[in-house]
Amino acid sequence: MKLSRRSFLRAGGVSLALPLFDAVLDRQSRGALNADPPRRLVCICAPLGLHGPNLFPQQAGRDYESTPYLDLLKDFRDDLTVISGLAHPGVDSGHDSIFSFLTAAQHPERRAGFKNSISLDQLAAEKIGTQTRFPSLTLSAEGFSLSWTRSGALVPSDVWPASVFARLFLEGKPEEVQKQIRRLQDGRSILDQVGDQARRMQAGLGAGDRDKLDEYFSSVRELEQRLAANEEWSHKPKPKVEAQQPQNAMNAADLVGKTKLLFDLTHLAFQTDSTRLITIMLLGTSLVPPIPGVSDGHHNLSHHGQDPGKLEQLRKVELEKMRLLAELLGKLKQSQEAGGSLLDRTSVFFSSNLGNASSHSCTNLPVILAGGGFKHGQHLAVDASTPLSNLYVSLLQRLGLEIGEFGTSTGTLTGLEVAG
Amino acid sequence: MRTVLASTLLVLPLWSAFAAAPPENVRAYLTGHCTKCHSGEKPKGKLDLESLAADFSVDADRRRWQIVAERVKAGTMPPKTQPRPAAGDVQMLTDWIGSQAAAAETARRAAHGRTVLRRLNRVEYENTVRDLLGIEVDLKEALPADTAADGFDNAGLALHTSSFLLEKYLDAAETALNLAIVNGPQPPLVKKRFSFKDERAVKVATEKVFLARDDDLVMFSSSPWNSITTGQFYPQNRGIYRIRVSASGHQSAGQPVSFQIDAGPMLMGTKNHLVGYFEAAADQPTIVEFTDHFEARNTLRVLPYGLATAQAVNKIGAEKYEGPGLAVQWVEYEGPLYDQWPPASHRRIFGDLQQAKVPIQSDRNHLEVVSSDPASDAKVILRRFARRAFRRTVTDDDIAPFVALFEQKLAAQYTFEQAVRVALKGVLVSPEFLFFRERPGRLDDFALASRLSYFLWSTMPDDELLSLAGEGKLEQPGVLREQVERMLKSPQSRALTENFLSQWLGLRDIDFTVPDHLMYPEYDDLLKTSMVEETQRFFEEILKEDLSLTNFVASDFTFANERLARHYGIPGVKGHALVKVALPPELHRGGVMTMGSVLKVTANGTTTSPIVRGAWVLERIMGTPPPPPPGGVPAIEPDIRGATTIREQLAKHRQIESCANCHKLIDPPGFALESFDVIGGWRDFYRTRGGGKAVVVDGKRMYYGRGKDIDPADELQGGRRFQNIDEFKQLLLEDKDQLARALATKLLTYATGRAPEAADKAEVDAVVAKIRDKNYGLRSLVHEIVQSSIFQSK
Repeated sequence: MKLSRRSFLRAGGVSLALPLFDAVLDRQSRGALNADPPRRLVCICAPLGLHGPNLFPQQAGRDYESTPYLDLLKDFRDDLTVISGLAHPGVDSGHDSIFSFLTAAQHPERRAGFKNSISLDQLAAEKIGTQTRFPSLTLSAEGFSLSWTRSGALVPSDVWPASVFARLFLEGKPEEVQKQIRRLQDGRSILDQVGDQARRMQAGLGAGDRDKLDEYFSSVRELEQRLAANEEWSHKPKPKVEAQQPQNAMNAADLVGKTKLLFDLTHLAFQTDSTRLITIMLLGTSLVPPIPGVSDGHHNLSHHGQDPGKLEQLRKVELEKMRLLAELLGKLKQSQEAGGSLLDRTSVFFSSNLGNASSHSCTNLPVILAGGGFKHGQHLAVDASTPLSNLYVSLLQRLGLEIGEFGTSTGTLTGLEVAG
Repeated sequence: MRTVLASTLLVLPLWSAFAAAPPENVRAYLTGHCTKCHSGEKPKGKLDLESLAADFSVDADRRRWQIVAERVKAGTMPPKTQPRPAAGDVQMLTDWIGSQAAAAETARRAAHGRTVLRRLNRVEYENTVRDLLGIEVDLKEALPADTAADGFDNAGLALHTSSFLLEKYLDAAETALNLAIVNGPQPPLVKKRFSFKDERAVKVATEKVFLARDDDLVMFSSSPWNSITTGQFYPQNRGIYRIRVSASGHQSAGQPVSFQIDAGPMLMGTKNHLVGYFEAAADQPTIVEFTDHFEARNTLRVLPYGLATAQAVNKIGAEKYEGPGLAVQWVEYEGPLYDQWPPASHRRIFGDLQQAKVPIQSDRNHLEVVSSDPASDAKVILRRFARRAFRRTVTDDDIAPFVALFEQKLAAQYTFEQAVRVALKGVLVSPEFLFFRERPGRLDDFALASRLSYFLWSTMPDDELLSLAGEGKLEQPGVLREQVERMLKSPQSRALTENFLSQWLGLRDIDFTVPDHLMYPEYDDLLKTSMVEETQRFFEEILKEDLSLTNFVASDFTFANERLARHYGIPGVKGHALVKVALPPELHRGGVMTMGSVLKVTANGTTTSPIVRGAWVLERIMGTPPPPPPGGVPAIEPDIRGATTIREQLAKHRQIESCANCHKLIDPPGFALESFDVIGGWRDFYRTRGGGKAVVVDGKRMYYGRGKDIDPADELQGGRRFQNIDEFKQLLLEDKDQLARALATKLLTYATGRAPEAADKAEVDAVVAKIRDKNYGLRSLVHEIVQSSIFQSK
């Protein structure tokens, strides 16, 4: 019987090290192994929703009449689909729905007994994350992130574009690189020891406690792998980009400035294949964004109470988000990669955890899906009972994952097809 | 065959198919009163009682049975339109559910204990590292947010670990050790006095809002951009600094002038903190002195409070302006202050080991701890450190992994200090440090010390607690009582206010919305700060004086400063310091429900919702949380245009029977609180945008109009009517035991990291019984909780 290398390693008990072999392959050799061009996904959440009447067209299908928000995306009409009617079943009204936005875990609003599940980007990172220097990027304009681990823990977010840029593209001085390598090695030595300690601690524990220590174990194992991969990558030069390191937008209320920096970073990270998975939490604070004609706090505006003055200000804020999205789509479309545009290989999912922020409702979520090589150009109006997870299955399959379900899915999203 | 089988199933209750079927009398009750709706293909509320197994060891099933008991007991099921079950039958059913749930829970606990292995949350982590090492450091902001359960972020079940978190712990440990261990000489002590006249902000000001005089600088504007951020105090070294400010009121007609001082990096978007609001006496220099911790390149900011806007001053010009101003004579700083060098944090790790020069590339004068006997010194260091880090006595086995780390690094040509640092870092990410070591059954003394310390202080036990635990004395009731007293008297018990109180009442959401300045022009930061402090001081007073917990519902006193007193209409309060004040009954205040802080966090910045506030009162004060809302019911769309009130909108809701069942519980407390607006001000009418009669305040036409009148009257279960919030509070006070049970449950949840369950009912009731004779004193309640077996067992 002939053993494959993989099964040999499994038998030897070191199967966990396998992805590292992939990780250390340089891009050329990976290209040879992997004929398909890379597929990417960015998930963007506007946590205070988008005012539905300004977004959704009246008509379904390809011949829809544009709306104030879609007007700003008119150059990309054939590159995007606007989807109405989607919701996460079992995720009820409230800001807590943000916990489940990318996970579909049910009843975050009840708090008690709620346990989150893995978000789609982290699920994808388990499969395709080792192919890039960064398995995923978790960006946020305000601190809270959208991504969750299998154990139900929040993935920390990066809020400072300047430092993310440095990690992605700036080479440290040789002694800094050495110091970093030493730090990674120290980290691995430490994890080795504390892993053993946790094993000893496990004796005599009940089932619930053992689950908790198991979480610790798998965290140790995953981090060991990641530190090892980081060490391999740290010996390789980082990609060079023409862009300068950005200045962080220091004004906590600066919705436009912060969003732009995060979107620019997204474009650069994809263009250099530094990562293929990004999640972005946009700003949704109580502060007044510095936008002409806006004098009320953003959160307050979302609670407009039907006041025409507030609705008008809200429209100004949300038009800015649309303008920035159009800018991101434009950059991705202009960037070419192996005979196609980056946009065709990047699913850009822009949505919110709230359908109507004024009443905190979580139905009829505003969804714009652009790029990714889907058949676009339509307003896809789905039945009100359609789970958002169906779209997530479609997105995951587009990334090349062989999965048939995610969260509360009942299949892929009917009506959304891959371009021929 | 298939059809026959199907119809058989419809006729025969499914219970017969299960071993875990409810007993005969329970089945009879369910068949008689429930299964007509709650069974079959589409059972109401998705509750199919015929297929619900009586297996209480399954969490989800147990929970469903408990909901059945709650509804039946509350009388909301069966619905009013159906025949009422006999009281005895109701009792029989709820007793059966209660005893089954308790039995299942008792069995589980014998094997696993009540709580689940809990790790430090990020607040506890930061506090523990601070006390373990003896350093001031902000670590929690760098850690991902913790998830909460049962209303608190220290619930074992909800606290998860990930590789990302571990990586952050590695980083945090490095940051903390870099601050605790010093590699150079003591930074020089700088003492300097300077004038605001030399500040850049003054020199480059384009508006005429500052007046430079011989001995001082007068600030006339309270517009935020006219604040002065000190460029002359911009320390190069982190540490404690003593700051003194001399200021007086100028042209203030004998009245003091207020100002606000903030400290921090003062860059846009960074986190600064409020040092405080201060008063400068008229024409008399007042010296304000404080010490604070400053990171390198942090600075101070001074802004007068309550003076004119920049526009108003600039129009006239500071030279001719006759309104009040704040005259600042000088600012003085001194620091960084150290008692000794190397600082205590360094000595705590290395004891008396000497430092020597070990030049490195970036620093030729770099100092490091050296050892003539590395192996044995490292063991001493690690044992001393691990004992406190693990919060118990440690054996050679316990420190072996860290000694191994040290040796491994020493062998890899690390210096002594570098190798020790790696081992210390290991201790700080080890499971023994990050998790609470608790075994099923009664807690051992060390576990008890930790539970007590994290309950009252949100940090590791101090030396006294650890010593008592080491001697095996802590479990003695008298010793425990003394320790609780000692701990509550310590300033560290502030953590109970910050972490328990703020989560119990939801005060952490105070900044979630900023009210619309057109609808609520009277709102400002001082008011917000004062509101939160009011609630904190009130809680601390009740705890300190062992006052009755019924004060949380209704009290004849509160704490207020001038600003808050103006908001509430309390006469005669001056200054920024909050003082205890008597509350005239006609103001409708007293208790936490009518405090500005609570009223603000239960509203958004535009509207109030009786549902949100009602659910808040049920959950947090009455201890009878409403069931979660059914899925798929559209929420009410708030409307401030004035044509309709939330009460009218809700009335439609309550006409639907399935909604009415819960809403007749939820809405009444919310209606009672409708007399208070989104910032906790009293109101007789709604403020509207667009329409409504003009509203004039202090001769100024407001941007909002007068909307419909408030109607706060409603009735509680059993037809107990109330006309307003005062009567509502009195109705709540009728069942003081229930209020005590509610708060005891909250405290136990927070103290142990898990909410009490059915099996704990008797113990919770016993705690309540013990404080009943003590006038329901809050301090007594804390003592009884610590003495309870729930607290002392895993």
